[in-house]
Amino acid sequence: MSNLLLGFQDVLTIATLSWVAFGVILGYVLGALPGLGKATGVSVAIPLTFYLQPAAALGMLIGIAKGSAAGSAVSAILLNTPGEPSSAPTALDGYPLARQGKAQKALKMGLFASVIGDFLSTLVLIGLAAPLARYALLIGPVELCAILLFSLTFIGGLSGQSMTKGLIAGALGVFFATVGLETETFIPRFTFDMLELDDGIKLVPMAIGMLAVAEMVVQAGNLKALDSDGGRIKDSMERADRVILAAEWKRCIPAILRGTFIGSVVGILPGLGASVGSFLSYGAAMKASKTPEKFGTGMIEGVAAAESADNAVVPSSLIPLFALGIPGSVIAAILIAAFILHGLTPGPLMFQQQPRLVADVYAAMLCASVILLVVGYTGQRIFALVIKAPLRLIIPGVLLLCTIGAYMETSSAFSIYIMLAFTLLGFFARKLDFSFVTFLIGFVIGPNLELSFRQTLQLLDHKAVNLVHHPIALVFILLSIVTVWWIGRGHRPRADSGNQSPAATPDHAVRDLTHNHKGG
Amino acid sequence: MRRANVISGVILAVFGLIMLVVVIPWQVAPGPDGMMSPRLVPSIMMLVVTLLSALLVFNNLRAIRNERAVAEPNPITAAELGALFRLGVVFALAIALYLWVSPVMGGAALILGALLVLGERRPVVLIVMPAGLLLAVWLLFYKVLGTGIV
Repeated sequence: MSNLLLGFQDVLTIATLSWVAFGVILGYVLGALPGLGKATGVSVAIPLTFYLQPAAALGMLIGIAKGSAAGSAVSAILLNTPGEPSSAPTALDGYPLARQGKAQKALKMGLFASVIGDFLSTLVLIGLAAPLARYALLIGPVELCAILLFSLTFIGGLSGQSMTKGLIAGALGVFFATVGLETETFIPRFTFDMLELDDGIKLVPMAIGMLAVAEMVVQAGNLKALDSDGGRIKDSMERADRVILAAEWKRCIPAILRGTFIGSVVGILPGLGASVGSFLSYGAAMKASKTPEKFGTGMIEGVAAAESADNAVVPSSLIPLFALGIPGSVIAAILIAAFILHGLTPGPLMFQQQPRLVADVYAAMLCASVILLVVGYTGQRIFALVIKAPLRLIIPGVLLLCTIGAYMETSSAFSIYIMLAFTLLGFFARKLDFSFVTFLIGFVIGPNLELSFRQTLQLLDHKAVNLVHHPIALVFILLSIVTVWWIGRGHRPRADSGNQSPAATPDHAVRDLTHNHKGG
Repeated sequence: MRRANVISGVILAVFGLIMLVVVIPWQVAPGPDGMMSPRLVPSIMMLVVTLLSALLVFNNLRAIRNERAVAEPNPITAAELGALFRLGVVFALAIALYLWVSPVMGGAALILGALLVLGERRPVVLIVMPAGLLLAVWLLFYKVLGTGIV
């Protein structure tokens, strides 16, 4: 607690708050623009933070992630086109509300639900990460190796539509992490006599290429569809259509609290993603409602349920990262690069080695939630205009920032080549449904996995039977096998595929999700 | 997607085999005795990729046979491939200008080329966008953040 107060002391300065606010605004705009999202925003912005103080840098990046999660509701409500797939259920009721002239009401509820979900989930992160990390410190290399293997299997199984392809992507990610000098023997691997590869492939240009540039290429190929929408919503001037009434708050608060709980739990589990959280929350709100048949026609609880869960996922997805050093989402994987860059190595030891910096991050996250409320409330009309900007004018700017960002990592054109190579890989991975999320997470945990595997072999004396002395490891190995078997038999929730149609009926969307859950 | 899965599975399986048989032995030394070979983890990963790719091909071929060929849309559209190619050319041009002329020219070529590729033809936009963006980048890095890029 005293550390948290010191964290606020570090963060509550004009310079730091300005950078956090800049991150929130940037994220809000990126989230509102269909096709751009938090992953693109954070990966492009990492190089901008090279010269900032750690608290400001990390606060800004987390601000982008939070702002983007909230901003994606704007285009979902006004255009029926979610800024990110996780806002698809928001569109189911938000867009009908907007067509009834109640766009302002829907936008406000989306924002309030986002902020509440985000703030409460941040408190869950603060409350859970450190105690979990204490247990994590008791874990040895054998257990760690098994946990990493389980995480990769779990994430590979759930990201995308095919477990086989998810696991291939994860294995490729670990493989690319082996490029460079091997840490124990210093033997070069796959460097092809290029000095630039001795240190391995850098995460930032790789992530920028796979996430941001590849996404821009896909968007450039679909410009006609994206340019055709917009400007069809008329605002009502009635006060009752513009503000949230007390009766509506009464109906929405349970939906928000339920959504926050669902989003927080989904965020903690690696690989499920915000889409699963928002759809589950929407389904739960429908089930709890006395008038479920009205969902999809403009029920404000639908907006509240979806947005609260969507935003609750972001902070809670950092719990496995902080407690175990395992990134559970693509945002967490990218943030690892930023955390390390600013002197904070995610994992259980960071609470002992860098308590002040951890407190700074927590304080910045809480401040970002408040800033999100202020920025979202005051700037909603402006953001509603921003989404009408054609993507053809946005893509060139994003490409320039991506190139500068990749270049700055090593101050060499080689990073740009890496970025372009992984753009190609990211493009085909996206189109052929090979999970680039699993690839990136495999790449990030690859070095740790190899090191713990090496130590495991030595500790077990190269005999698998010695695993009986490591029951936790055995449990996780069994869990990995069960996960492969369970998902392989068709039991999977729909994760971030990016293909959810906003035009789908709520019944369809939710039934599809629960059907998949039940393994049908 | 079935056909695409078969094709991508074959490509990945061949890639995995080439890595296992040619690239790993060529690019990674066996390592000293008594230590875990530096080849072990890359080899395991490539073995996993090869086996899973073969499984992907097998499952999808079986599904195609059972489902009776239903015409399915190509997962990659011609427009997307076109965008990939055209933006690739823009990047190549921008990098060439960066290496042989100047970073500013490279940056301007990237913005201008991308605008043209995306169908922008208004002369004002074609002039103002590169100039404005480069100015904004200069202000952000050289003035606000106080650091150089190049």
